[in-house]
Amino acid sequence: MQNYNFLDRSFDACLKCHACTATCPVSNVSLEFGGPKHLGPELKRLTDNQQVIDDKRIELCTLCGNCDISCPENVHVSTLTAYAKAIHADIEGTKLRDHVLSNAELVGVAASAFAPITNAAMTMKPVRQVMQIVLGIPAERKFPQYRFNNFKRKYRKTTSETKRKVAYFVGCYATYNAPEVADSFVEVMKHNGIEVAVPKQKCCGVPMFANGKMEQGLKNAKYNIESLLEYTRQGYDIVLTCTSCTFAFKKEYINYLQSADAHELAKHVYDADEYLRMLKEAGEFNSNLAPMNDKAGYYAPCHMKGQGIGNPAMDILGLIPGYEIQDVAAGCCGQCGTFGFKEEKYEISMKIGKSMSEAIADADADYTVTECGMCRNQLEQLTTKNVKHPMQVLAQSYVKNLEESVHASPK
Amino acid sequence: MRRKIETQVIVIGGGVTGAGVLRDLAVRGIKAILVEQRDLGHGTSSRNHGLLHSGGRYAVRDEEAAIESYRENIILKKTVPGSIEQTGGLFVKVPEDDDDYVQKWVSACEKVGIPVKNIPLEQAFKDEPYLSKKIQAVYSVPDGSVDCFTLVVDVVADAVTRGARALTYHEVIEIIRETNGVSGVLVRNRYTGEEIEVRGDIVINAAGPWGANLAEMAGISLHLINNKGMLAVLNHRFNRQVINRLRIPGDADIFVPAHNVTIFGTTGVNVDDPNDFSLDRQELEMMLEEGAALIPDLLNMRLIRAFSGSRPLYQESTVADTSGRSVTRGIALLDHKQRDGVDGFITITGGKLTTFRYMAEKTVDIVCEKLNIAARCTTDEEIVPHREAQSFFKEVDMAPAAKHKLFHWAGTKAEKIEQSLKQRPIDRTVICECEQVTWAEIESTLTEDSPFNLGDIRRRTRLGMGPCQGTFCSYRAAAVAVEKDAATSEQAAWALNDALNERKKGMTVVATGETAKQAQLMEAIYNVSLRLKEGANQHV
Ligand SMILES: Cc1cc2nc3c(=O)[nH]c(=O)nc-3n(C[C@H](O)[C@H](O)[C@H](O)COP(=O)(O)OP(=O)(O)OC[C@H]3O[C@@H](n4cnc5c(N)ncnc54)[C@H](O)[C@@H]3O)c2cc1C
Ligand code: SF4
Ligand code: SF4
Ligand code: SF4
Repeated sequence: MQNYNFLDRSFDACLKCHACTATCPVSNVSLEFGGPKHLGPELKRLTDNQQVIDDKRIELCTLCGNCDISCPENVHVSTLTAYAKAIHADIEGTKLRDHVLSNAELVGVAASAFAPITNAAMTMKPVRQVMQIVLGIPAERKFPQYRFNNFKRKYRKTTSETKRKVAYFVGCYATYNAPEVADSFVEVMKHNGIEVAVPKQKCCGVPMFANGKMEQGLKNAKYNIESLLEYTRQGYDIVLTCTSCTFAFKKEYINYLQSADAHELAKHVYDADEYLRMLKEAGEFNSNLAPMNDKAGYYAPCHMKGQGIGNPAMDILGLIPGYEIQDVAAGCCGQCGTFGFKEEKYEISMKIGKSMSEAIADADADYTVTECGMCRNQLEQLTTKNVKHPMQVLAQSYVKNLEESVHASPK
Repeated sequence: MRRKIETQVIVIGGGVTGAGVLRDLAVRGIKAILVEQRDLGHGTSSRNHGLLHSGGRYAVRDEEAAIESYRENIILKKTVPGSIEQTGGLFVKVPEDDDDYVQKWVSACEKVGIPVKNIPLEQAFKDEPYLSKKIQAVYSVPDGSVDCFTLVVDVVADAVTRGARALTYHEVIEIIRETNGVSGVLVRNRYTGEEIEVRGDIVINAAGPWGANLAEMAGISLHLINNKGMLAVLNHRFNRQVINRLRIPGDADIFVPAHNVTIFGTTGVNVDDPNDFSLDRQELEMMLEEGAALIPDLLNMRLIRAFSGSRPLYQESTVADTSGRSVTRGIALLDHKQRDGVDGFITITGGKLTTFRYMAEKTVDIVCEKLNIAARCTTDEEIVPHREAQSFFKEVDMAPAAKHKLFHWAGTKAEKIEQSLKQRPIDRTVICECEQVTWAEIESTLTEDSPFNLGDIRRRTRLGMGPCQGTFCSYRAAAVAVEKDAATSEQAAWALNDALNERKKGMTVVATGETAKQAQLMEAIYNVSLRLKEGANQHV
């Protein structure tokens, strides 16, 4: 058992105003949850350097970070709930299933090695029923696909020779489940004259934190920080396509580790669209984008909102001539990483997702754009529209423009 | 016609001293009644540091006080276990303080017999991560933390089960004099104005800092120095043990963990009026600066309120220095027959919370002598019922934090509270979230004969003692009380006003940063959203 006397004293500032509870997606649909105020700052105040109080209800917290956004006093609410989760997990003993789901990477490596079989098995009823019984993963629940040709196998460049250097933290989702996102990102960077390097990396730790495996998550965090600092110190920028990974790098590593290294790294971390927006402001953005007559609805993942950088994806995609994108302004999707995969939380997950799915259905859009792979999973489960990552759209526009200009230019 | 009550002994003052005397009388089978002008613990007994002294603080300068403290420390841990947390304490030496004092102190403690142990710094930092990294030496002592609210309440309750009576919110307005002595008191009910004559053979003045006023009512001149000390309540209990500074006792050198907060202090300024509970911002700032030598983070910690109380110090000659510290803190037990020729009147004052039982023993010994009763004191053996209730609430579906509190609080009421928690969901509602107080607990403190009063509830349950200082729980408690017929809406409105005014007093002086915002939020909720009129019918 680890030492839980981590010195985060932000709970001191809590005014008990309940703003966090009012915005917590889980509190909004379930009375069974104690709410962020109680399970965060309140419980921490009662237990800091004192006897631990374990509250099982903390399992329902998804670490979406909405509580942090709403807090007028800057209490690190979700940092405190993350620790409450870790304490609970230690005391209860981590269930086998949470072990599997929190090891996105291990599962990813194993599953994509047998990708065709895994994917078929995942959609086969009897297998899923066994999973429900053994692991507590609901049979109705959609799973992201695992790819044989995962990004790690294909892309092995570890340095960059261009003027601007980007070190890409791919994240598990784009590595194992959606290599097309990673491919698109590399393509987009290429069109901006930037070569992408992929440093050594491990899962960002988000799924571990969410399952209370703080110690293991922090081990990964330290590994990533060390690996990436080697790059930033040579002038690389760290760019990511997964909003949860980005959120972890920008906020969670700092709050959990409180180390100088974590602070140093965070200064160099960008969401992919945020990075492009920065290039645009610096006059370095390649705006040779082919027109696209699509109508898209943008869905902002909680971990994007939590970064407090606005909607960079809309800012960038809005530069594509003819492209119409609107914010569907929906709340949390309810998938919340690994949360929605759990049997006892399935109902809450679906309840949270309801208003999101209604907003998507109402939106006058051909498809949905979002960054987060987990949100995409929920969107695919709850809506009939396709889901794309902004990098996919952007890459498509760049490639199309190139093809058109090749055609147009005289031989 | 005035109502009359006959008894043997009348005890004036519902502080810890009066409570102790009442219980000792009851244990020895002597009929007695206690009269208190407000709630139990209204005076110094709820306005102190709550440290169960090990004697360490007095060892060098006042051996006798150290011996008394250590002996009573052991007795109280055994006899009032429900109100004492055996936290242990540390004496910590910082570079600013005199090196020679350390050895002097250790030898003095050894001489008294107080078990002191040298603690490796590494261990001290592990147990108390907020300690200054500059500290040079740490010793442990058997200090404890006293809940002075429950202490007084429980001691009186035990006396009552043994046949004594207690009248709260009854102020003594006159002491009935006969030619050679006194024969009773006249009290007035603060709520109704009703006057009652209480007659008895002996009147004991245990009115703490008000002691001189009472003596005057009996026509006796008594000089008491009221030495006012300030205490600050920190938002969270950052320490596990009592932390004392290892130096000649001075200001701002003790941190006592008390339930979910830490109480830090104190100071000493002589005042004339026993009702002077004023708080001075400059005094507080000086205290914080001093305290930071032990706990550097103190300056960043949130304070939720401050309060003050007066030590009644008695000295025969009337000259005193202004700091009041050099006056003995010894016990003053005055038989006014001997001192002033007034029969049937005894004053007991001075001393400490820690020595209240001993003070009561000595007082009741004189009473027995006067009444020719042979009963021996047994309060060093007789136990006040414990507050532990670990075997209850197992199947109750409620927040673990609220349950955690009940385990250490419910005591003799556990069964009743468990039943109401099981039967009615509303009783499981956590009314005060900061301190995790459920309605069931609140209800268990309500009595037929006294009106709904949030202050009384607060002292008994900790309702409103947390960081929000009743911003949310005061109106919740009042609303549920009305719904449950425990109060009329006028009573509830009065109680709300009374409670808020009292909370605000303690918040103003610390109101910078978060606590200033909290006070504004409180203001907005009550005066704007709930349209509570300020100062409406304040009659207590
Ligand atoms: C700042 C400070 C810190 C302290 N810290 C500690 C500590 O850590 N440990 C320790 O052991 N001791 C401590 N003490 C000392 C201890 O608190 C007191 O010695 C003790 O509480 C005195 O109790 P009492 O019952 O004599 O007086 P009080 O508690 O003041 O009781 C007197 C009661 O008489 C009532 N009364 C007055 N007039 C009338 C009337 N006319 N009619 C009816 N009732 C009346 C009052 O309302 C009051 O409730 C501290 C004291 C102070 C001031
Ligand atoms: S992180 Fe999300 S689910 Fe957890 S308490 Fe905060 S808002 Fe609620
Ligand atoms: S929003 Fe912030 S200040 Fe308000 S209750 Fe939640 S943590 Fe406390
Ligand atoms: S948050 Fe990012 S790194 Fe972490 S599991 Fe998801 S995709 Fe992987």
